[in-house]
Amino acid sequence: MNPAPAPDRSEQMEIDASAKWPVLFFLGAALKWLLFGGLLQLASSIQLHNPAFLAGCEWFTHGRLDAAARNALVYGWGMNAAFAVGLWLMARLSLAALRHGGWLYVAHAFWNLGVLLGVAGILGGYSTSFELLEMPSAVGLLLLAAYALIGVWAVTTFSVRNTDNTFASQWWLFAAAFCFPWLYSIAQIMLFQAPVRGTLQAVVNAWYVDGLYHLWFVPVALAVAYYFLPKLLGRPIKNYYIAAIAFWWWLFSVAFTSGARLVDAPVPVWVPTVGIAAQMCVPVAAIIIGMNVFGTIRGDFGRMLASGTLRWVLVSLLCFFAGSVVALLLSVRGVAATANFTLLGEFRDTLWLYGTFGLAAFGAIYFMVPRLCGRAWPSAALVQGHFGASVVGLLLLLIALGVGGWTQGRLLNDPAVAFGDITKALLPWFTAQSVAVMVLLVGHLALAVNFFLLVKQEFLPAGAKPASFAVPPALALPAATPEARH
Amino acid sequence: MKNGLNIFLGVLSAMLLSWACLLYGAHRQFGGLTQHKDAADESLNPAVMPGLANQGRMVYQDLGCVSCHTQQVRHNSPDLARKWGDRESYPRDYIRDVTVHLGNSRIGPDLRNVGARSPDAAYLYKLLYAPQIFAPGTNKPAYDFLFTVRPVQGGAASPKALQLPSKFAPPAGHEVVPTPRAEALVAYLMNLKDTYDYPVEKSRNEPAKKGAGH
Repeated sequence: MNPAPAPDRSEQMEIDASAKWPVLFFLGAALKWLLFGGLLQLASSIQLHNPAFLAGCEWFTHGRLDAAARNALVYGWGMNAAFAVGLWLMARLSLAALRHGGWLYVAHAFWNLGVLLGVAGILGGYSTSFELLEMPSAVGLLLLAAYALIGVWAVTTFSVRNTDNTFASQWWLFAAAFCFPWLYSIAQIMLFQAPVRGTLQAVVNAWYVDGLYHLWFVPVALAVAYYFLPKLLGRPIKNYYIAAIAFWWWLFSVAFTSGARLVDAPVPVWVPTVGIAAQMCVPVAAIIIGMNVFGTIRGDFGRMLASGTLRWVLVSLLCFFAGSVVALLLSVRGVAATANFTLLGEFRDTLWLYGTFGLAAFGAIYFMVPRLCGRAWPSAALVQGHFGASVVGLLLLLIALGVGGWTQGRLLNDPAVAFGDITKALLPWFTAQSVAVMVLLVGHLALAVNFFLLVKQEFLPAGAKPASFAVPPALALPAATPEARH
Repeated sequence: MKNGLNIFLGVLSAMLLSWACLLYGAHRQFGGLTQHKDAADESLNPAVMPGLANQGRMVYQDLGCVSCHTQQVRHNSPDLARKWGDRESYPRDYIRDVTVHLGNSRIGPDLRNVGARSPDAAYLYKLLYAPQIFAPGTNKPAYDFLFTVRPVQGGAASPKALQLPSKFAPPAGHEVVPTPRAEALVAYLMNLKDTYDYPVEKSRNEPAKKGAGH
């Protein structure tokens, strides 16, 4: 059930041409939010070791900046990038051009207007203070309406596919396209339209946050990995017959993990217990996915690191496995007693959002954009710089959050340590976090500059000579393996 | 996995099952908790949050206090030794909060019982205006925008004016008074205290007695 033999090149170019401008629009917005959100994140991080920074201005008080940064990065960068990558992948894998793509510009405009209003609303004092749902609830309707126009494109492209079979990447994208509106609308209804009472609100909030990472961002990242590994390494996914098991296993276990975020919270004890039990099933799915992806890589790490796309995918996959293990560890009661309420929660979510999803999206961008525009990246140095900055920045951020978080947890659990001393002990880690965020921001700036230089050439009368790309190696499919007969 | 409909039905059933078990199930179990009527003095607990405190909850929400403060005391944990509460928090404690902000980060201390442990409202005003008064070196931001610095009017200081140490005091002839939002926020914080212990929850959460076997 690996992808059908490579389509005709001209057919593929036609599909790319249909996706070109919608994808570039979403990516342009994503990169602007990535930079803006990064600036907010940097300011919010600086405040943790330098509380006087921007303190006099109500719009930039730490609580608001922190929420605004998270929302700009999740809904501005993350969602826009996922739309771009997801739509293009879905069109390519379904061998179907995006038809009537004009509506996507409308959706793009409304989605980004919604995020802008939402982030401004948070800074202006209309935050709801529910994690990742801080935007004023009126904005939620706008976002849902815009999403409907985007999600329906992914689903229709999938349903008019010109292939006999479906490929793993398509399942993941399809599941993500369906899960997000489900999670988001239920959270909106149960928290704002017909609010539930008491700590049930925290249960709903945890369900949404957990679902957003596990059922939206991670599936898009896995779709990217399943697409590019066989394509660029020139061999089918190893052990492909178990890919479907991994998909269903993942889906049915992460649907129940949300309670693991509420260990020791004032909710009935079965809520975290179910979450922990489900969390224990998650690494099984990760192992099966590992048999697929690392079986395909088969020790070919040199080629992975040499490829401008696959090196991102490799680091993203490592973060994915780390995330599955870390999420389980943090939910175990003995560990949670120390890790709860510390920077380790952000450590885990960073692995999902930036590590797994963000890096996979970067990998896809480096493959997709030059082919959509028919031009190579203007600066190879910026490409290298971005990869270096992202890997170093992410590593530093994880160290700061991980070691800092564990220190924080140990000190919090020692009543003999005064609270002020905990703050003092954390200052170096907060500083390290600011440095890490700054390094990441530099990398993102490199990508943005490269992207806008490349797109600018579209508007020059006699642009640079169109580049020609090496055609990826053909899939080395064995003659008549059992799975080819399906 | 050829059929798109099958994938759709599979994803739908995972989502429906998750919603039904986790959210609807929890809602059926404790979404309808009611106040407890004390047998001795017939008081209803938790008491309804006063209007001003409820407005303060909205200030708490709009300033994003939840990004550094939790509002939950854990069962049998060092939270109790830190004097963040006399007992762990129960779901019933929260039914009076229109929005519940349990929080998941303790960059600052837990606030579930801040009203019980703060000596008075004046302390909280000063803590909000200039946290360095009580906690030098803290990274708590100052919320001076919740206060007005104004010339003393009519020769006498306002009874609401903050009594600040000289290092943080306004220029001579001026006073610092809280805005209505600061008053609401402090009313909310002073109202955060779970002092009543519910007999049902208390008995359920006690450690099992030895020898009380089945």
